[in-house]
Amino acid sequence: MNPIRDLWQSISRRDPLSTDKGKSELVFLNVWLHIHPNKVRPEGLKVKHTWYLGFITFFLFLVLVTTGIALMFYYRPYPQPAYQDMKDLQFVVFMGGFLRNMHRWAAHGMVICVFLHMCRVFYTGSYKRPRQFNWVIGVVLLLLTLGLSFTGYLLPWDQLAFWAITVGTNIGSYAPLVGARVRELLLGGHMVGEEALIRFYVLHVAVLPSLLVLLTMVHFWRIRKDGGLSRPVWKLKPQKAANLVHIGEPEPEPALAAVAAAPDKTYGLMEVVTGRPIFETVAPEEDEETVFSYPYAFFREGIALVVTVVTVMAVSLFWNAPLEEMANPAKTPNPAKAPWYFLGLQELVSHSALFGGVIVPALVVLALVGIPYLDSNPSRRPADRKWAIWIFTVFVIVNIVLIIVGTFFRGPGWSFVPPWVHVTAGAE
Amino acid sequence: MKRRSFLSWGAAGFGSLCAGVGVSLAAVLRFLTPSVFYEPPQSFKIGDPADFPYGPPTFLADEKIYIFRDREKGFAAASAVCTHLGCTVKFFQTDHHFHCPCHGSIYASDGKVLHGPAPKPLQWFEITLTRDGQLRVNKDRPVAAGYRLMVKA
Repeated sequence: MNPIRDLWQSISRRDPLSTDKGKSELVFLNVWLHIHPNKVRPEGLKVKHTWYLGFITFFLFLVLVTTGIALMFYYRPYPQPAYQDMKDLQFVVFMGGFLRNMHRWAAHGMVICVFLHMCRVFYTGSYKRPRQFNWVIGVVLLLLTLGLSFTGYLLPWDQLAFWAITVGTNIGSYAPLVGARVRELLLGGHMVGEEALIRFYVLHVAVLPSLLVLLTMVHFWRIRKDGGLSRPVWKLKPQKAANLVHIGEPEPEPALAAVAAAPDKTYGLMEVVTGRPIFETVAPEEDEETVFSYPYAFFREGIALVVTVVTVMAVSLFWNAPLEEMANPAKTPNPAKAPWYFLGLQELVSHSALFGGVIVPALVVLALVGIPYLDSNPSRRPADRKWAIWIFTVFVIVNIVLIIVGTFFRGPGWSFVPPWVHVTAGAE
Repeated sequence: MKRRSFLSWGAAGFGSLCAGVGVSLAAVLRFLTPSVFYEPPQSFKIGDPADFPYGPPTFLADEKIYIFRDREKGFAAASAVCTHLGCTVKFFQTDHHFHCPCHGSIYASDGKVLHGPAPKPLQWFEITLTRDGQLRVNKDRPVAAGYRLMVKA
């Protein structure tokens, strides 16, 4: 009788981790860990393939939820109190400024990482059959991330917030037929005021995070169901790759040959069903090399988590989240800029609001959603996808250039001012 | 149950379900649309005519309007809201133009777009004299750029 061991076993309910069975049970008997498979292919863990950007994005979201809940204890979503609470967080609340910094920088980081993650998935061809729909979910998650960032932008109720949202929501009102109505619905009025603040608050702390969590669960689940973590199949040994890279309709006659269970298999065949499968099986082949998730995957994920959190903390120690003077509807700062990730749009909008604010973003979202369905090339090998890679790279570069121009090269009256020329900015 | 009655009951049931969902969605949309806007009134008094000087227009920050007063022509009220994305334009005495700080739109003193992305000229509003001798601007009543109110001194 060892009461401590008994207590521990009543919690863990698994064999010791020194055994393969224990390693499996750690994953599939645990409600938090069982989103992982027991065993993963080692190529899927390569840092140089995925850069762990999906994990990092998710960890940033965890940081945002945690710090966001903390900030909610001290935030009243009403114009004057909201701004006052920002000042309180900055100067009165213990660690308040640090938590607000973490929330702000993690939010920027999440926008960046979602975008980089999308680029990675594109360049490795990981959106291809059977993962097409997971890419679409990813695009929706990108839009939700932007929506969360945008709704959060108004909450400090300073000049930056007020004018970024005024400009941002006016861009939306250029949408034909529904534009003005959508703006009215979003703002709860015709201008950015107290009704707009409470609406943005509810969207920011309840509606959008719930949607994001729901879709993230689907996103992760689909990774499992669509064949596990992405890996560079074109680098596998030719013999093996020939079997694995088979993409497209399965063979007309589905083989239902009985296969002897591998020695390390911890599950059994449940049922044999007849009929033709639409998708080829995406579970690891019997003879494929796999490693246990514990410790190989968990260790790497843990490192990614620690690096993410420590980076956000370090940045928050040295740089404060901006807070300008309180929102003043009568005084437009010059220049009035949208949040940086919308500055590419604002740059286009400065030439034509309908073109830059409605047509281009609508086409970009449609094109992104359509990528896995338009790209009929089955190969994931970069050498076979030169055109796709060129087009996407041009899209990425144009995005970045527009954002850089909007951020650093636009001065008072949206005139072209290089960043090395000093202009005293300020409200006109 | 006969095939015909199963199908008709099924169609009726499915139709009712769709209708119910549709009505509920419409109700949600209606719920989110404010029934009352607790916003500043669109028609308001701005003060005594004598309060406004001749020459450069007076900017009323809360109402976001410019009040012009001309010795020969009289009073006029121009919107200070840029027609591009809603920033507040500023009148410059130096060139007699309205400049928008957000995207560089420039309007002439009669509100016409001279430069930049603004799609429409600045709006002009009806300005009247109330019985108690005050000026009243009505933002719900747009008027042509040439509209003027003459007040006898």
